[in-house]
Amino acid sequence: MRRYLVRRLLLLVPVLLGVSVIIFMVLHLAPGDPAEIMLGSQATQADLARLRAELGLTEPLSVQYVRWLGLVARGDLGRSIWMKRPVLAEVLGRFKATLVLTGSALLLSTVGGLALGIASATRPNSLLDRLSAVASLFGASMPVFWLGIVLMVIFALWLGWLPASGMFSPYGGGDLRDLLLHLALPAVTLAAASVTIIARLTRSTMLETLGQDYIRTARAKGVVERAVVLRHGLKNALIPIVTVVGVQAGYLLGGAVLTETVFAWPGVGTLMVQGILARDFPLVQGCVLVVALSFVLINLGVDLLYAWLDPRIRYE
Amino acid sequence: MKKFGADYALQPVGTGPFKYVSWDRGQRVVLEKNPSYWRYPVKLDRVVYRPIVEDQARLTELLTGSLDLIVGVPPDFVGQLETSGKATLRKQVGAHVWYLGINNQKKPFEDKRVRQALNYAVNKEAIVRDVLKGTGSLSRGPVLPATWGAESSLKPYPYDPERARKLLAEAGYPNGFSTSLWVPESGSGMQSPVAMSTVIQSNLKAVGVTVALATMEWGAYLAKLRTKEQELFALSWMAGNEDPDMVMYPLLHSSQWTPLGPNRALYKNARFDELLHQARLVTDQGKRAELYREAQRILVDDPPWIFIDHEIQTAAHAKRVQGFKLHPSFDLRVETISLK
Repeated sequence: MRRYLVRRLLLLVPVLLGVSVIIFMVLHLAPGDPAEIMLGSQATQADLARLRAELGLTEPLSVQYVRWLGLVARGDLGRSIWMKRPVLAEVLGRFKATLVLTGSALLLSTVGGLALGIASATRPNSLLDRLSAVASLFGASMPVFWLGIVLMVIFALWLGWLPASGMFSPYGGGDLRDLLLHLALPAVTLAAASVTIIARLTRSTMLETLGQDYIRTARAKGVVERAVVLRHGLKNALIPIVTVVGVQAGYLLGGAVLTETVFAWPGVGTLMVQGILARDFPLVQGCVLVVALSFVLINLGVDLLYAWLDPRIRYE
Repeated sequence: MKKFGADYALQPVGTGPFKYVSWDRGQRVVLEKNPSYWRYPVKLDRVVYRPIVEDQARLTELLTGSLDLIVGVPPDFVGQLETSGKATLRKQVGAHVWYLGINNQKKPFEDKRVRQALNYAVNKEAIVRDVLKGTGSLSRGPVLPATWGAESSLKPYPYDPERARKLLAEAGYPNGFSTSLWVPESGSGMQSPVAMSTVIQSNLKAVGVTVALATMEWGAYLAKLRTKEQELFALSWMAGNEDPDMVMYPLLHSSQWTPLGPNRALYKNARFDELLHQARLVTDQGKRAELYREAQRILVDDPPWIFIDHEIQTAAHAKRVQGFKLHPSFDLRVETISLK
């Protein structure tokens, strides 16, 4: 087990290296450069040349990449071109807000998805099951930004129950209640698509599990229905569900970009978008590295969960 | 500077009406009143700036009283704000000129009749009325209207598709032609570039000019304009002050052709060049104005672009905000505000 863990953690290095090479290439292949964007449409060629030299953009790409890699090896992600600040502190600061948002969206979609899925599976083709099927179709096909704006108009503009944007109130606030109020709309928006996916999958795997012989045996033994469903049914149905929840965690991290933009959530997604638009290479590299790292770690966590859920699974 | 090194920019000091307090990344910048401000007593104790990219969120925050002031009201919200009764909308002509550039060196645009035809073909009134919801004023040329160098006798090109077709026929294109139009999705001073360009595309189609619209991201767009491959392109320019030289020289003098300077229309007119040069050599403002007025008349006859509009800046604030004024320079000035 330990050897497996060490091997997986060592594998992180080539994965992150590959990610960084790809993102570096893609960013530099895109037309336009930071100097052009900083100076805007009024810049002369001479201005551009001067700023490019100052930013070290005139050196060959390989030299730029290796220089950046050298910094990273020393635990420094460089300095943002556009904000003139150390990337690492900037990204970590924003990543906390993203974690709060994706974490709560993941919690919402997992709990909601499991509850809906189990309810549908235990009463297949009931009204609830059908409603949940329609809701799933709806949830899966709605674009995040559209749903976000609709929720905002209803709950913030018309009803006035919840704030429309930001993470905390501009004056005062700052406590947990303030955070939860601001979190409600973006978290529900972000969770909408995932909850339906998890619900549908839970329903189908649960239906399959509940049809197994050992479930009939359990019922014949006189185990109460609740325990049949949760202990004998759900626990055995969890492996594919956990896989999907893991995938959804990654999807939510990525999907947070749009939700963050709609609700002015100060997360790493908005930072990355600004970085891309400004061609702020070190900043985007930093954001991508942190997101990629969390993605890989989540996958690792999911793999370890398998062994815990099903003791027959061993890692050697 | 020595103490903070590379981070010195994060420790601002100054003599302005407000003092820097804090900056929560991506959330807010907080300023506090400078009690010893030298010009007048500042009435606000504290100013909080918040970045809210999404238009609907900004509007909602204003209408629910969570914000006092927003800048850059999207045209589609202008009507809603004016009738809401909860906020006051402020408008003022800004310092931008929004134009549809034409590559003057490419066929068929080197013929000025074609460029005139394009100006007649586009319904600018409709763009300002329906797309911009009144947040633009019709443009007669590059110079801002009502400034000292503006030629007030000029009229915007009228919308006259019949005349456009006739001019195209005279230039040898009775059946029109096909061309491309590059448009940035957004960008500094670009108003609603894609919607505006779509109207222009259909206007041109009506006189037989088939336009392929290519939308691009701002950074990529600026880089592409240096290739000189553009045919038609949408762009905006903000004049640093009202001196006509600030707009005409960089944008239209032939020494400023891209990629050296910002003359991306590759416009060249010898008499126009000469007038602009002369105007740089005299110091008398009256004489300079005369030279610039003649230069503007040339631009009507030999148009470098399709003239569209000058943006009207917008801001909206809660009813309790008093004494706010839009500044022509586009700066957000809050030091004159008091709260009721």
